[in-house]
Amino acid sequence: MHEIVFYFAVAWMTGLLAISVAAVIKIHSTAGRILALDMLTLILVALLVLYADANRSPYYLDAAFILALLAFVGTVAAARYHGQRKIF
Amino acid sequence: MSLELFTSLLADALVIFGVFIMTIGVYGMIRLPDTYTRLHAASKAVVLGVISLLVASVVTGDPKIIFRVVLIAAFLVLTTPVSAHVIARAAYARGEGMRSPDAVDESDKGLISDHRP
Repeated sequence: MHEIVFYFAVAWMTGLLAISVAAVIKIHSTAGRILALDMLTLILVALLVLYADANRSPYYLDAAFILALLAFVGTVAAARYHGQRKIF
Repeated sequence: MSLELFTSLLADALVIFGVFIMTIGVYGMIRLPDTYTRLHAASKAVVLGVISLLVASVVTGDPKIIFRVVLIAAFLVLTTPVSAHVIARAAYARGEGMRSPDAVDESDKGLISDHRP
């Protein structure tokens, strides 16, 4: 990957991150907010993957994997609590 | 054209494709009217973008990176449908309204609201 593509992609995805934070604040339904938070975490995972790719360092990918795992558990817990009023 | 230049250009193309698809997903998230249609944007488009970025970093050829990338991609492919399903169930259980113009409501809950854009 060339350097200019990396800088362009990081700048663009930071913009996407800001837009999705605005979406979390602006969406009025709770399920939509949980969904927007899930999407925000996926964008963070993508940023970490880009950074690992540019630095040729695999350790950022560990952080990305843990972030994806925590996002999944958090989304399932929040959505089940919102819908059924119980988690398990 | 040497192999190194080719793989570098391939990684560039995959990164730009992934960023483009994620842009479409975020645009759908702010543009679509209700939760049921927003699930399409968030659970398909954004995950496809992340997986395209992951494939772009397979091109580097480092086995440590490739192992972790395959792990993350498999995890995302397995868990994203589950979380989308759970969110859709929660929205349905709470009776969130459908606001898309041609929505079909087969339950008896009256989810289609009169206020349509």
